[in-house]
Amino acid sequence: MNETYASPPSVEIFHAKNAGEGFFSWVATVDHKRIGILYLLTAFFFFGVGGLEALVMRLQLAKPNNHLLSPDAYDQLFTMHGTTMIFLVVMPTLIGFANYFVPLMIGAKDMAFPRLNAMSYWFFPFGGLLLHFSLLAGGAPSVGWFSYAPLSETPFASSPGVDYWILALFALGIGSISTSINLIATVLALRAPGMSIRRLPLFTWMVFVNSFLLIMALPALNAAIIMLFIDRQLDAHFFMPSHGGSAILWQHFFWTFGHPEVYIMVLPAFGIISEVIPVFSRKPIFGYEFVAGSTVAIALLSFGVWAHHMFAVGLGQPMDIFFAASSMMIAVPTGVKVFNWSATLWGGSIRLTTSMLFAVAFLLQFTLGGLSGITFAVVPVDWQVTDTYYLVAHFHYVLFGGSLFGVFAGIYYWFPKMTGRLLSESVGKVHFWMTVIGFNMAFFVQHFLGLMGMTRRVYTYPDFPGWGLLNMISTVGAFILGLSVLVLVWNIVVSLRRGVLAGDNPWNAWTLEWAASSPPAEHNFDQLPPLHGRRPLWDLAHPENPDEPGAIQEEPEGKKYNKNKVGMMCFIASEAFFFIMLLIAYIFYNFSQHPNTGSEWLDPLKTGVFTFCLLASSFTYWRAEKKLESGNYNGFLVWLAATLVLGGVFLTGQGMEYFELFQKGLRAGTNLFSASFFMVTGLHGLHVLIGLIGLLIVLAMALAGDFKNGKIEAVKTIGLYWHFVDVVWIAVFTTIYLVGVRT
Amino acid sequence: MDLKSTVRLNYGIRIIFARNKNSRELKTEPNLLNHSAVARGPMNHFLNSVFHSESPQAGAISNLFVLVLIVCLVILFIVTAMVAFSLFRFRYKPGQTDPKPSHGNWKLETAWTVIPFFVLIWLLTLTARGMKQSDPEPNRKPDLLVISHQWWWEARYPQTGVITANEIHIPVGATWLVALESADVIHDFWVPRLGPKMDVVPGHPNRLWLEADKPGSYLGTCSEFCGAQHAQMHFLVIAQPAAEYEAWQKQQEKPAARLLTGSSRKGAKLFQQMTCVNCHTVNGTNAKGQAAPDLTHFASRETLGAVILSNTPENLALWLKNPQEIKPAILMPNLKLTDNQVGSLTDYLESLQ
Amino acid sequence: MTTHEFLLSALNWNPFLMAVSVVAIFTYVQSCGWKLSGKTVFFMAGLVSLFLASASPINFLARGILFSAHMLQHLLLVLIVPPLFLLSLPTRRNGGISKGFINWGKHPLIAWFSGVGAMWFWHIPVLCDAAASSQSIHLLQTVSLLILGTLFWRPIVGPRIEERLSPLAGIPYLFTACIACSLLGIWIAFAPISVCPVFMNPTAPPEVMAMIRDQWGLTPAMDQQIGGLLMWVPACLVYLGAILVLLGRFYRRSKHIVPFRPQETEKKND
Repeated sequence: MNETYASPPSVEIFHAKNAGEGFFSWVATVDHKRIGILYLLTAFFFFGVGGLEALVMRLQLAKPNNHLLSPDAYDQLFTMHGTTMIFLVVMPTLIGFANYFVPLMIGAKDMAFPRLNAMSYWFFPFGGLLLHFSLLAGGAPSVGWFSYAPLSETPFASSPGVDYWILALFALGIGSISTSINLIATVLALRAPGMSIRRLPLFTWMVFVNSFLLIMALPALNAAIIMLFIDRQLDAHFFMPSHGGSAILWQHFFWTFGHPEVYIMVLPAFGIISEVIPVFSRKPIFGYEFVAGSTVAIALLSFGVWAHHMFAVGLGQPMDIFFAASSMMIAVPTGVKVFNWSATLWGGSIRLTTSMLFAVAFLLQFTLGGLSGITFAVVPVDWQVTDTYYLVAHFHYVLFGGSLFGVFAGIYYWFPKMTGRLLSESVGKVHFWMTVIGFNMAFFVQHFLGLMGMTRRVYTYPDFPGWGLLNMISTVGAFILGLSVLVLVWNIVVSLRRGVLAGDNPWNAWTLEWAASSPPAEHNFDQLPPLHGRRPLWDLAHPENPDEPGAIQEEPEGKKYNKNKVGMMCFIASEAFFFIMLLIAYIFYNFSQHPNTGSEWLDPLKTGVFTFCLLASSFTYWRAEKKLESGNYNGFLVWLAATLVLGGVFLTGQGMEYFELFQKGLRAGTNLFSASFFMVTGLHGLHVLIGLIGLLIVLAMALAGDFKNGKIEAVKTIGLYWHFVDVVWIAVFTTIYLVGVRT
Repeated sequence: MDLKSTVRLNYGIRIIFARNKNSRELKTEPNLLNHSAVARGPMNHFLNSVFHSESPQAGAISNLFVLVLIVCLVILFIVTAMVAFSLFRFRYKPGQTDPKPSHGNWKLETAWTVIPFFVLIWLLTLTARGMKQSDPEPNRKPDLLVISHQWWWEARYPQTGVITANEIHIPVGATWLVALESADVIHDFWVPRLGPKMDVVPGHPNRLWLEADKPGSYLGTCSEFCGAQHAQMHFLVIAQPAAEYEAWQKQQEKPAARLLTGSSRKGAKLFQQMTCVNCHTVNGTNAKGQAAPDLTHFASRETLGAVILSNTPENLALWLKNPQEIKPAILMPNLKLTDNQVGSLTDYLESLQ
Repeated sequence: MTTHEFLLSALNWNPFLMAVSVVAIFTYVQSCGWKLSGKTVFFMAGLVSLFLASASPINFLARGILFSAHMLQHLLLVLIVPPLFLLSLPTRRNGGISKGFINWGKHPLIAWFSGVGAMWFWHIPVLCDAAASSQSIHLLQTVSLLILGTLFWRPIVGPRIEERLSPLAGIPYLFTACIACSLLGIWIAFAPISVCPVFMNPTAPPEVMAMIRDQWGLTPAMDQQIGGLLMWVPACLVYLGAILVLLGRFYRRSKHIVPFRPQETEKKND
């Protein structure tokens, strides 16, 4: 299913001598492979930044009562280290691999939306720069990567560091959500014939499921940080208990994002391992269906475990026990994967290449980290070890010993495909052993430190017996890790110049990316091999023993997915969850025993009139679409214009309402009603405005005659968004004006 | 002896030796200790580990933890053994062809889905039981109110009205209910050897049980990042036999000591004149500030600064000279006192038994 | 009284229900030719669940005593009994036993709103109270939950294959229902006001109240919290289980691949 799309108009100054070369060609690229490499390189840069931050912290902690860093400097370092590693390293790296390999693995020419892909990338360095700009503007944020309120509120964190953190996360989130939408649309709509969903390589499947997780989890973060921003900038008190707000609501909202986030950081790594282990064991993954199904189970369950980060907050034992139950349940599908990977090794013909070494180390280290995670699910144990170095050890085992080791495995596995040359195996072994030794030295001892009472996020500690020694060991291990990264860099640099030429399929692997050249041509494939199973290249090489005997060709797919509709529906799902979170906040602050002043000034009747206009605009848009489909172009233009007018009337009405409330002295910061009211209606209004801009663009295109040829995709897609905005208003209007207004 | 090395606190030696409250002999500079000499008995905070429990609550958790760890180690062993065995037994030997593809065995996979499920159900029942044992529902009014501040702990005894800071005395063997409230941000009250931790959340009062089986001095620490001096926000829980505890209570209920020699009288006057009274309380004087630790019986406490220095005149002098040097970013400013002023104030404060 | 005594005394051998059950068993077994199969198990399980919901101590407690028992009853009636009964019906491509299902209810959106709406509707405080206090409204609630629950599960486990959603479409169907259910559960678990006011002052024999308050240690606030949590976590596990079943169905299809014939459209046994 090769898509054609109009290439962007060429501009003289961006022309290099040979098209596709030169610096600007990388800046302007929309090719998924180049964008993937850009992600990987930028993430690697931030890996160095975050790593250096870690090393400086470890220097401070090497001795008791050390005075290398001031407390504030240390606090900024650990905040930036966590934020950088999560948002600027692990996520972009995995997205980079996904960008590069998902289209190749499904036999597509590129991603569904190449220009959206490029935009998504550029939000990444932009967000990273925004975050680090805080260093020049009064100091980096110093309240931890999860920024608990009220410590992150202005009275306790007065420098703008937290504000930059919020803005950076928002920008990065836009990039992540866009990429995920792109990936979902790509996987659903651009698969080559014969590449059914049941035959997807596990890396693609896990990235696919992960993308759903991402588009549903990030809205929770966005809701939380918007509320914090309103608190800090507009003097509201969402999270200030001293003024009726709730510090705990921040935690609920944050961890509703935060827990799926850790799975977002690990599922694609699971995908890499699920490719690497079978190839170097020379047998297919053991139990593809269970591995694929358990991925879905993990993704769904991950939304139901968040409060296990809050066992010590005092939510009450019923709440704690339910979250303990769900947290233990999520261990089952994860365990299934570990057993399936181990069973893949069993009976194989194992080649211990560097990539495989990293994969095996992943298996053992992630199991260890996962098991320490189970100890946390046992609530009373959590009550002892949470917020100690035992926790720090746990999450580094799953995120570094897990995800990052998976990334290293992926680098050694896919470097030949991306560059045409193999990485040196001998240097690779040195890299591997240094990494394993350094990593385990740095983090294993931290389990003991936690059990001995050392809490986390401390810039120094007293001279207890054993603490100094264990911390010193950890520091030495961290430095070995740091050096190992240099070995990797060396390996990459040297192999780029002098590495052994790889050819198309140096590992004798079986998935589609190995049918392309190394590196692949810009359009990826000249010709695809026949696709009759999960391992097309195996089937090609072993026609007498294919994976799915009897299948000459996969039965035709039940339905063809329209990438624009899929993309828009994903976006709508994401925004729907965002508004659900906002409405939850609104209900929380307004439906309790002490109503705040302000709601009595709302006028449901007047707003009802404007509501009618907005809902009518959905009707008029539907009429416009019908006219267009039946060929009545002028009718289409008229109804479209009517939609715009009605939408504009709604916004005007909302503006008038705001004006009246301002006259009465109501501001965002006045009380919790006003803060939540302006937030919910304001953000909805913003969505209406964006919709109107979209409609204007459609109108302009329509006036230019763009839709006369029957290509009405844009009209239908924007229509979906417009109807969504109306549905949201129904929910908002009901909650705020109908149910919520006190007479 | 420079400031930094004096500031270094070695808990065991200092606290054991600092029991001599009234003697004013100079304490020696602590060297890096031979720890085995003092790593004994309940007085030592060294082994502040969760496995060295001294209360029924911590004991229940410790036992549960050991059991859970055994289960985890067994699972880790199984996986490691399987992987290690595979790596050796099924290692590629030159000339080997690829093995016959096997795509899975759903019976086996179902087994290793269902069996862990039941193991976890079992762990869940243990969890529920452990929760009841280590944190039963509160059923009466609290015996102690702890209010956390950035970066010190206020302790109030509701029955007697005693207010102190950073050092909590409880009678041995008594099961106390502690109410936890915060004056500013989220903190966390944790005494590893005595029981689970509990967040102290502004706007959301919490409860925790506190009990010690043996007399001794147990180290607690703040366990939720609360700002610049989170690392130095500790507290002591001192469990005493009933008679000793009663004596301590009686002493604490009295207003501030009034034995004033020349130097401490000067100190008292300085204390009243300078801004000290805006933040600190000394019962029986007109110092009624609420923002900082109550100093009425300051000299009876073993440590200062939220358990970062032992309470000796030298350390107090260092603190008064420049608290920001010892605990940067705290609310107590550098008052730029002269050495004389420091000396007088030290004498005064050390007289407040 | 002890829990044991209570459980025995609160069993209500509802004669009407017994009679209907006997007739139903007879009809069912006769219509599948007196042969027992896996589907018979589903049918019996459905009957047992119905019994648990309507005639057991759960029902006793749900009538104005314990909010969490009322919630358990709801969940059984919407999430357990209907799918079990649907699964007990023989699957057909077309035709087959339909037991009078309403035809218009088979569109997935209507089905979805039926199931989710049923849960939300009966938790409007005024209605919740009425159902807990009045016998006839309680009966109406029970019947409506069963019918609406059946409508909800029809696109997933309904007997007619062509009415079912494709497995991949079933996943968002169930997941969004899970979210909607969770939102309700979260609201109930955290709401400071009483969702169903009658449960704040339960009218029950003093021995029963003593058992609840002292032996089980349940206060009305905890009771509401548990009720909300039941709606949230176990309910979602049911949805999750159904999703996994769908996934199993999805992957099992690949074992039945037939050689490709260009004219044939997809019609498979499931």
